Amino acid sequence: MNWTCDLIEARLSDYLEGLLQGPERAAFEAHTNSCADCAPLVAGVRGLVGEMHSMEELETPPRLVYSILDKTLRPRETVTGWQGFLNAIRGLATPKFAYGGASVMATLIILLGASNFSLRKPKLADLRPAAIYQKANQQAHLVIAHSVKYVSDLRVVYEIQSRLRQDENHLQTTPEEMMPKPSEKSPGQTDKQKPSQPRQQNRANEVSRQLELLAAEFPVLSERSVR
Amino acid sequence: MEQDAQLVQQCLQGDGSAWEELVRRHTRRIFNICYRFTGNRTDAEDLSQDVFLRVYRTLGSYRSAHGGFATWATSVTRNLLIDHYRRTKRDRITDSLDDKMPVVENKESAGRRPDEQALLGELSMQVQSALTRLSPELREAVILRDLQQLEYAEIQTVLAVPEGTVKSRINRGRIELARILQQMGVRPA
Repeated sequence: MNWTCDLIEARLSDYLEGLLQGPERAAFEAHTNSCADCAPLVAGVRGLVGEMHSMEELETPPRLVYSILDKTLRPRETVTGWQGFLNAIRGLATPKFAYGGASVMATLIILLGASNFSLRKPKLADLRPAAIYQKANQQAHLVIAHSVKYVSDLRVVYEIQSRLRQDENHLQTTPEEMMPKPSEKSPGQTDKQKPSQPRQQNRANEVSRQLELLAAEFPVLSERSVR
Repeated sequence: MEQDAQLVQQCLQGDGSAWEELVRRHTRRIFNICYRFTGNRTDAEDLSQDVFLRVYRTLGSYRSAHGGFATWATSVTRNLLIDHYRRTKRDRITDSLDDKMPVVENKESAGRRPDEQALLGELSMQVQSALTRLSPELREAVILRDLQQLEYAEIQTVLAVPEGTVKSRINRGRIELARILQQMGVRPA
């Protein structure tokens, strides 16, 4: 058989897929090796087929499956009447929806609580925006006042505790140390050589005065700490 | 194949989850055939939906004795792609006039989104562009053989033509595609 360029083209895929055997294959290769037109064609098609075989499939767009199911499955499952209503309710019973519902309820309760709205004796007047604002404002001020008082009380308690601790430390020191030294200045006296000393002295005087006051106010605590 | 036939039977008995399973199993393949044929992601998504809609409506006419569900679904896809090709012929005539302008890159690849370009790879993108320039008969044959890697017998069933015609179309399609790529200055190694 005379292998012309047309025949090479016609049998090209057979050759690439290994369907040409023996003398046919040898004749095909003999022609393509010597033909300036067929050689690049065979090389080009071989490369193209190799490239197409290695091309990966595209990923399915994420919404495509749902779009298909929406278009096909839903009409078949459409029901009317009570069954449809129950299906709709069942569709809402998801954790996401429950979480959303709980959040909305919590927000409503907080808002109603802040506006002083009574659920036992609901009044339409209580739901006016001006009344809600006024009551919410009042509630907010009350909350702030309570918070300030609480912080203040905490500070007083902390102050008392720290003073008592200081007092205990003071009593544990030796009596000699407690005794005033003859060289020490009397309360309020300034020392020109050591300018920081009068300030310390004043603070000590202040502490002792406050301890006396504490002892007077809380005799029980004072007795316990002395023991 | 067996599993597909079983799922089809369950679908026909009204089992929605069986249909969902069928859709999940075949969406990627159908979408890829549509994308390779049209070269357009949006068109491919729309056509994939149409394919499954038609499959769903005509599921009763499917007979497992006449081939696998995948082959049958591919036939439906092919018919819709040809319909789509004919419907959009006028747009393509305008496009082909534009293609005659001296441009380095053709319209499909130029209009492709950057993420899509990155996904396909440069050579694959050029092969995809060249594919859309083939005649629909040659294009579908090459897609089914070289991209979907179907057997000749399956392609014969899908295209409803004799095996000799299938082989001839695949061969001509490959040669034509190689020449288009050569014109584009692309040389696959």
